Amino acid sequence: MTETVAQKPKRPLPKSRVMVAAQTAKVYQDAWDAKARGEKIGWSTAIFPQEICETMGIPVLYPENNAAAISAKHLGDDLIAYAEGQMRYPMNICSYARLNLALAEKIQDPAYNTADPLLPSPDFVLLANNSCTQLMKWYENLSRNLNIPIFFVDCLFNYDEEKPAAYKVTYIRKQIESYIAEMEKFSGKKFDWDKFLEVQKRSQINSKLFDDIIQLNTRVPAPVNGFDFFNYMSCLVLCRGKESTTEIFKQLKLEIEEHIANGTTSFPAKEEYRVHWEGIACWPNLGHNLKTLKNYGVNAVINGYVTAWNIVYEPGNLDSMAYAYATSSTNSLTTETIMNMRSDTIKKFDCDGMLCHVNRSCKMMTFHIFVGRNIVEEKTGVPCSNFDGDQSDSRVYSEAQFETRVQGLVEIMKENKEAKNG
Amino acid sequence: MLTMGLDIGSTACKCIILEDGKNILGRAVVSSGAGTVGAQKVYDEALAMHSLKREDLGRLMVTGYGRFSFETADNQKSELSCHAKGIAFLMPTVRTIIDIGGQDAKALRLNAKGMLDSFVMNDKCAAGTGKFLEVMAGRLNVQTEELGDWDAKATEEASISSTCTVFAESEVISKLSMNVNLANLVAGIHRSVAKRVAVLAYRNGIVKDVAMSGGVALNKGVVRALGEELKTEILVHADCQLAGALGAALFAWEELCKQA
Repeated sequence: MTETVAQKPKRPLPKSRVMVAAQTAKVYQDAWDAKARGEKIGWSTAIFPQEICETMGIPVLYPENNAAAISAKHLGDDLIAYAEGQMRYPMNICSYARLNLALAEKIQDPAYNTADPLLPSPDFVLLANNSCTQLMKWYENLSRNLNIPIFFVDCLFNYDEEKPAAYKVTYIRKQIESYIAEMEKFSGKKFDWDKFLEVQKRSQINSKLFDDIIQLNTRVPAPVNGFDFFNYMSCLVLCRGKESTTEIFKQLKLEIEEHIANGTTSFPAKEEYRVHWEGIACWPNLGHNLKTLKNYGVNAVINGYVTAWNIVYEPGNLDSMAYAYATSSTNSLTTETIMNMRSDTIKKFDCDGMLCHVNRSCKMMTFHIFVGRNIVEEKTGVPCSNFDGDQSDSRVYSEAQFETRVQGLVEIMKENKEAKNG
Repeated sequence: MLTMGLDIGSTACKCIILEDGKNILGRAVVSSGAGTVGAQKVYDEALAMHSLKREDLGRLMVTGYGRFSFETADNQKSELSCHAKGIAFLMPTVRTIIDIGGQDAKALRLNAKGMLDSFVMNDKCAAGTGKFLEVMAGRLNVQTEELGDWDAKATEEASISSTCTVFAESEVISKLSMNVNLANLVAGIHRSVAKRVAVLAYRNGIVKDVAMSGGVALNKGVVRALGEELKTEILVHADCQLAGALGAALFAWEELCKQA
């Protein structure tokens, strides 16, 4: 007789997560519907002034977010292989780019339906290079392959400066103004400045709400499993200017406040250690990451990646908005500036250590780690550990290596705690 | 009271029996690693040496690549902490440890109390690991354990420029076909490993004294090349291969004391 093993019932998703799924599905559906009506739809880099297309009612989807979703569902490997094989891209470039460039070609065949979520083919692309310089070649290739225009906002790197110089802000503001005029011509739609102000205000409400939510995790023990925040980033990437995001964040805040009131948490184990997660999520290996961290009682209570989408500025002030887009991604800042921010966060969130994802794809978020961890260790006194992985390419990750590095970090954090507590 | 430390590595299993947290009572090494009978064999051998049974051990701590799969263990700990602990016990002045294992290479830094403070490990690549040496020894048709002796006979180093194990193996084949002296090839292979591992050590910061741990430390050629790359003397203890197992036995002793 075969022994049947009872499956552990899955915990029902909190209401806020259900709302996120519904919102994301609607954004995709709206784009497909617009496409079916013959309207123009766009693809955009993740930290582009989304307020403009939101104001004009032009659907936009986000390849980075889409690639993350596909990778998390373990559907990315075939696309990456196609990009490297048939399309002849080297494996050294960003895996989001490889995955998306392959997908952009695949979806030209109406019968293609393997990836999930599926994107409709774009009529234009929106590109801001504030988070990565490789985005320029990626989007240039999309533009060439699909014969569609690029709307480009060039954001300069902030060398040796805590704040961008005034000319850089002016440069971005001028480009946003020019982009609005060009988009009016391209879409045939008039830009409504009053509606734009409303969208800006909504974006600020949402950014502020998300920041408030993140700050709730400064509590010890944390009410939220830090990995949960990965599930809400899409609200700010896809729908920063939408009221539905406000509703989701209000619901999420309620759920967290409930955890606080009840003394409960969404972290699925006793929180023994709190760490700062540095870098993009390892989407194909998120399950193993979380399982391992859970086994060692490590809650990655905060990370710089989920807070990258808070674009904070004064509504109605284009200079302020330009400034925000010049600085919102830490990839446009120097290592010292980033690591000072990380050190402050580590202290604020009472972290015992830092776990750094050496991401084979994202050079921008990885180059600084080797020097950066020394800065963090010196400024905070907490130990850091690196592990190799990738945001989409599952070939890079090794489960045994990840576990050994986590365990090594835990053993140092344990010794530190014991020494501190006498 | 006796404790046992068992280091189930990817290519060899090592065992230490420790008395009262200070006297090494027994040592055993078996040249087969995780996933084989090596772990059980080394465990049985160590016990048999002193006619001991499992019940005679106050606590058994397992470390190494196969640390999660030894059923009679009381606890497991990472090889990082265990090598640090073992070397600090054997050579208390050491602050930097280089351990080249079968599948990984690591640089460890200890604080003044001999506790693990910081570590850096190799990425998902076999360059600079014991596996690299094993593959090259196979290609040269010599035993891995003989590489150190061959190195001593070298008159110069044959350059191996590839980092990748597969490409380096091709380079070795090519040089063999050109009748390059075997000892010189071995010295070049050791240089290649040393260069790769030195990067890890520099990245983690080097504080003297510097020691090597693990089985590869028995290879005098690697120790020589690494010492040259790091521009410092590298200490090697006779029990270097057993340092991880010793660390595990020491941790077992500490846990036993806490329980008491």
